[in-house]
Amino acid sequence: MKSDNVYLGDLTRGIVKENPVFRLVLGMCPTLAVTVFIVNGFGMGLAAAAVLIASNLVISLLRKFIPMEVRIPCFIVIIATFVTIIEMVLQAFQPALYEALGVFVPLIVVNCIILGRAEAFASKRPVFRSLADGVGVGIGFIVALVILSTVREILGQGTILGPDPASAIHLFGANFEPMALFAQPSGAFIALGLLMGLVNVIFKRFNI
Amino acid sequence: MEKILSIIFIYILVENFVLQRFFGICPFLGVSRKTETAMGMSMAVIFVMTLATLVTWLLYTYILVPFRLEYMQIVTFILVIAGLVQFVEIVMRKISPVLYQGLGIFLPLITTNCAVLAVALLAVRQEFTFIESIFFAIAASIGFSLALVIMAGIRERLEMAKVPQALEGTAITLITAGILSLAFLGFKGMLTL
Amino acid sequence: MRNILRLSLTLVVVGIVSAALLTGMYNLTTPIIAERKEAEYRESLQCCFPDFDTFETVELEEDKFDLLYDQDGDLVGIMATAVQQGYDGDITYNLAFDGEGKIIDIIIISHSETPGVGEVITTDDFQEQFIGKSYEDPLTTGEDVDTVSGATISTSSMIGSIRRVTGVAAESFLGVESEEIDIATVPDGVYSGSAPGAGGPISVEVEVSGGEIIRIDVLDQNETPTYYIESYPLIPEQIIADQNLDVDTKTGATLSAEGIINAVRDALSGALEDGS
Repeated sequence: MKSDNVYLGDLTRGIVKENPVFRLVLGMCPTLAVTVFIVNGFGMGLAAAAVLIASNLVISLLRKFIPMEVRIPCFIVIIATFVTIIEMVLQAFQPALYEALGVFVPLIVVNCIILGRAEAFASKRPVFRSLADGVGVGIGFIVALVILSTVREILGQGTILGPDPASAIHLFGANFEPMALFAQPSGAFIALGLLMGLVNVIFKRFNI
Repeated sequence: MEKILSIIFIYILVENFVLQRFFGICPFLGVSRKTETAMGMSMAVIFVMTLATLVTWLLYTYILVPFRLEYMQIVTFILVIAGLVQFVEIVMRKISPVLYQGLGIFLPLITTNCAVLAVALLAVRQEFTFIESIFFAIAASIGFSLALVIMAGIRERLEMAKVPQALEGTAITLITAGILSLAFLGFKGMLTL
Repeated sequence: MRNILRLSLTLVVVGIVSAALLTGMYNLTTPIIAERKEAEYRESLQCCFPDFDTFETVELEEDKFDLLYDQDGDLVGIMATAVQQGYDGDITYNLAFDGEGKIIDIIIISHSETPGVGEVITTDDFQEQFIGKSYEDPLTTGEDVDTVSGATISTSSMIGSIRRVTGVAAESFLGVESEEIDIATVPDGVYSGSAPGAGGPISVEVEVSGGEIIRIDVLDQNETPTYYIESYPLIPEQIIADQNLDVDTKTGATLSAEGIINAVRDALSGALEDGS
């Protein structure tokens, strides 16, 4: 196998074939909680992806120095550090998003995707492969969140790119009454369940 | 007293951690196949969550705040939780092997259960007192357990049902959880803090 | 032994690097966050008070008031920040008054009312009815403002809160005296009065003898039973014990309690007007 194929494989694997949300069912808490608006879903995905890429990079760099026995606490500290940095950056430059995501920003630290990739991939592989893997899985997570939040925002609010009135586009006329269910927690479960079914059908059809 | 009773009621039913707030979805989907394992997980979560909130609350109030280190909150809290889980595992193995056999396998899973960290963070963010925080943790974990055990009961029956092929597995579980969550929506607005 | 040393050393190093990184980051972002909050706040004041220059913040019990002055140091407006318990959690909002105490804007900062129902409190339709009103207006359901059907609890709690904040602002900063009733000057007799509560008018009968209130009976009310129980008979008992209408209203049943107090006030002020 040629070397650039390895990187390409690491990069694309996480986006479709092993999509963290639709295929591996990881990181469900933020996926369900923040996807009321596309902006929030995308922001959450970006924040988590940034932490994932940074932690994959650092953990891969340090993999020879960290002893086996204490690797988990070390990984946790590294991830928590990046999460705190992201939290501060959001608070300083994206206050509206920070407020909207709330406690789910610090909770990125226990997102199973990040610790999972650190343990299963980055701690055993060279830097550039880990980086490619981080970017791939990160994009996969963002894609999943954007798909789910698009469905929920259109059905639950009747808009795209809300809630900021400056960017919100109302898709339907004034007579449209949004399906409040999809803005509620129960709607998140149902929408994700149905989307997952759809993904299963598509994957089966194309033999992925 | 009134506030503590409200906290208990709210976090078991109104603001159920799993079904309304989306904390701890991974174990909720992962270990809800059988009622027995769900019960085991529930006990472990109730125990660890209460203990973790107790320790992190003291740590935050008496160390982080006086030294103006609030920004180290995430790092210290997650380390305390991870350490605590290890500690409980070791102590349990030594003292009560029977209990360890029952709950031991669930303990490592709890470190990445975001409900535990969420309770610790929210107790501080909502400015609960020490006693309120403990009851908050107990109520939240009971709420978690309630959702988990109900779900396990439903899934045991679902095994025998004919599910459309595309929805088999996680998809149907999520839709079931959605309907369950819809039922809990009935409590919304009944009580607020 | 060497192994344990190595393990702890690794952990300590990772911990120290993490702490150092975060401290640096914290020092970097804190001034930006503070600056942004200040700028954001000034901007939010700009919307209602385009010509203010400086402001001063006063906190009174649960409310916060920003007094805005122009370049000559004259009071051009008051921005109140208040929190009110709605149907589902706290509603935090701003109430902007001009220099004469007239409401010029209502801004809901945060709320968790039901989407599509209690959410009407954020709409212009609901808010416009308050604009231009002041402490001289009754600001009372059914008189000059209305609740929105289907969202009665959300809207009536907002109306009650706006009435309260308007009164507090006028009394504290505009030098308006609240009409305190001197019970000792009320002639003996039985008086009746009424005032709106949370669910409609509350009517009371008050008996005064020897310059003291000796009996308060609620004749008619339509309050939510659980709230009503909190206010009655506590509020009348307290008024009789203190011989003063300035009693603590129970949180959670503020509207019912205030309704009873206002009804008693109505009865007494009616008595004074008749007598004089």
